[in-house]
Amino acid sequence: MGFYLLSYLCILVFFLAAGCHVYRQWTLPMHVRWELYPVQHEVSEKLAHGGSYMENWNWWEKEQRSSFLNELKYMVPEILFIRGLWKENRKLWWVSFPFHFGLYLMIATFGLLVLHAFSVLPGGAPPAEGALRTLLSGMIVLTGWVGLILGVTGSAGMFFRRLIDPELRDYSSFVDYFNIVFIFLFFLFAFLACLLTDPLLEGAKAYTFGLLTGGDSLNAYTPAQTFLGGGTIVFASLLVAYVPLTHMSHMFMKYFFYHNVKWDDAPNRRGGPVEAAVLKNLALKPTWKAKHVEADGRKSWQEIASSAPKEMK
Amino acid sequence: MKETVKPSDMAKPSECLCHIEPGDLSPLPPPYEDFNEKAIPPLNPEKVKHIETSLDDTVAIGIPKPANREEEEELVRRFLSGLKKLFEKENNWTFLQPLLLSMEHCTKCQTCSDACPVYEMSGKKDIHRPMFRAEVLRRIYNKYLKPGGKITAKLTGDIDLNWTTIARLAELSYRCTLCRRCATVCPIGVDNGLINHEIRKLFSQEVGISPKELHEKGTVQHLRVGSSTGMNPLAAKDSVDFIQEEMEEITGWKVDIPWDVEGADILLLHNAGEMLAWPENVGAFAIIFQAAGLSWTLSSETVGYDAVNYGLWYDDVQFSRVAVRHAEIARRLKVKKIVMGECGHAHKALTVIADRLLTGDLNIPRESAMVTLEKIVLGGKLKFDPRRNDFPVTLHDPCNFVRAMGIVEPQRRILRKIAPRFREMTPHGVDNYCCGGGSGFAIMSPYNFEAWRNLVSSRKKFLQILNAFQGEPAEIPKYVCAPCSNCKGAIRDIINFYHAEERSRIYYGGLVELIVNAMADMKKPLIQFGDDPSWKA
Repeated sequence: MGFYLLSYLCILVFFLAAGCHVYRQWTLPMHVRWELYPVQHEVSEKLAHGGSYMENWNWWEKEQRSSFLNELKYMVPEILFIRGLWKENRKLWWVSFPFHFGLYLMIATFGLLVLHAFSVLPGGAPPAEGALRTLLSGMIVLTGWVGLILGVTGSAGMFFRRLIDPELRDYSSFVDYFNIVFIFLFFLFAFLACLLTDPLLEGAKAYTFGLLTGGDSLNAYTPAQTFLGGGTIVFASLLVAYVPLTHMSHMFMKYFFYHNVKWDDAPNRRGGPVEAAVLKNLALKPTWKAKHVEADGRKSWQEIASSAPKEMK
Repeated sequence: MKETVKPSDMAKPSECLCHIEPGDLSPLPPPYEDFNEKAIPPLNPEKVKHIETSLDDTVAIGIPKPANREEEEELVRRFLSGLKKLFEKENNWTFLQPLLLSMEHCTKCQTCSDACPVYEMSGKKDIHRPMFRAEVLRRIYNKYLKPGGKITAKLTGDIDLNWTTIARLAELSYRCTLCRRCATVCPIGVDNGLINHEIRKLFSQEVGISPKELHEKGTVQHLRVGSSTGMNPLAAKDSVDFIQEEMEEITGWKVDIPWDVEGADILLLHNAGEMLAWPENVGAFAIIFQAAGLSWTLSSETVGYDAVNYGLWYDDVQFSRVAVRHAEIARRLKVKKIVMGECGHAHKALTVIADRLLTGDLNIPRESAMVTLEKIVLGGKLKFDPRRNDFPVTLHDPCNFVRAMGIVEPQRRILRKIAPRFREMTPHGVDNYCCGGGSGFAIMSPYNFEAWRNLVSSRKKFLQILNAFQGEPAEIPKYVCAPCSNCKGAIRDIINFYHAEERSRIYYGGLVELIVNAMADMKKPLIQFGDDPSWKA
């Protein structure tokens, strides 16, 4: 039961930490526009050259068009295949892609394990047909094995790249190495556990079933019975909790980088929601100390912006 | 072997943390090889004996050395107080979200380094990596402002904080042109250009440290006198009177530049530097607008005849003040829209950044002159003879309205119509390289900073220009079209510095000059290559 408690606790930490990150982003004041082109939700005729709606004569008189499809065309290969790195830093991509794709496949495997567990839950949804369950089992083996192989090679590659490349080494701290070693150990334990004791991931199925049922075992074998299986559970659980506490949270925070900064081209229209947010910001009272700012904590941004500086410095 | 400089070295005593030796800089092709062994001229010891110079071979700000321990400690205190404010919404709602994201998610993969022209051209000096200064700030923030930071710093990256660290960081924030090319290539979206902008802001808004050219002679003078050039409204009007006479003499076209026309459709905002350094640009705009029959005006009100907003580069408060003044002037004139002349940073400042500052009737529509000009040139009302521009032309893309605003094609469609020998630089458009004069560098020349700019930050642009004209005979005149005053200033300086007019007959100018030069009604050419007219009347 100790393993399950650890896993529950770590999953809770993940949701709390990730929730805090997301909540903070949602509640930050609207910032000034700082987009960078190409903005990928632009319509194709603009996107082809990185242009914007501001290329149109009297653009404010026209309806602003955008394309979700264009955004997807960019985002899907970017998320799955890290296209940006392929284009800009190929030597790092060769280790970064297997590392990240290995992690994605681990997440996919976990999703499939959960589906599988639902399919065999007593009293839950009607038991899935045997063929579907077989299909799920097959996919679990496929995504699991491919993910583990990619993950082990990718994380080892990332570690060595950081260690041997002076460009990376000179800027790496203990934590940067620790993060990679942590992930590598998870992949290594899981890989060896599968290789030596559980090639069909039956233990993973059993443990996931146990996660949903508060510890009931699906079959006689559970991974916690072996050193490698137990290690896998511990590393996987801790990793789930650890990721959102570090810069590795870019995994999901990237959404805000793109949608709230790089592609945030929403114009301010009179009476619109942007204007309402701006008015709220202008009422804030800064306390910057340089004399020319003339902030005293009582004057608002609006008052300061409407004044001329009396002091030079 | 290359000497490595790490972020933690910023705190360590050294006479010069980063020195560029002759031969370190990226090589230039013939006939410019003689510049490959050039180094940045040494600072005059007499002139710099009282200021901080220990970062590298040049000085942009000139921070006075502290007189005593108290002054040292005071700077550290002020810096930390400002750093804290960068993360408070009351003080930094303008950039809080982008700053937080970029501070917390860098993986130090160095993808940004290869995209940075300053880093590449400097001979890949560590201090010019886009993430270097960001990492210095990140380490200071983590160690000195986060709970338990002094303990975790041993694990996450350590740095000592003293007067030297801070003074060097202030100087270092003026070695980046804020072109944000680094941000376009970051696989995560981290924007080291933004972090650099925030460092400058912290120093200006809390500590009162900024380059004179941007602050005292820049935004302060702009708000007090009317223009960062120092021209008051009367002087601006005199300049424009002179431009009208000159244009008539040069082109045979009678130009009438309207002032303060209430209810005009367009308020045209020029960078006032054009009136002094490139009067033909102001005149060419007038010819085109007049020929197209537009209803337009200039403003003679203080601040209203100078589109610049240097606050964009270093100070949100000064930025806001200038932007609000521009909008108030347009409101008083009751114009339908503001058209931004050939000034890149003014475009971004008033059109994009100020978009989340101006509310109600101050939110007057703003449009790029590239768009207005495209409408005129491609509209068919004016007749052109492109053979008059029968010389090689290449286009420089100002970062501020290309990468930061997505105004990419209008200027190209114009050039394809009026310049038959137009060719692109490589790369171009949103992937362009900065002119090297971005973020204020074009107007900054303290000590030997101008030499640093010409040798390092503008070097990539010079190489791009040479490549664009590769294969053209040296004796044929060539035109670099730079539709931005700051870029034009930087390009003028590299052409002079590398003797490119004498060696390759490279000239430069704006877009409107090319348009007027190709107008079929024009009796005489506007563009001259030295003493030679660009076409025979």
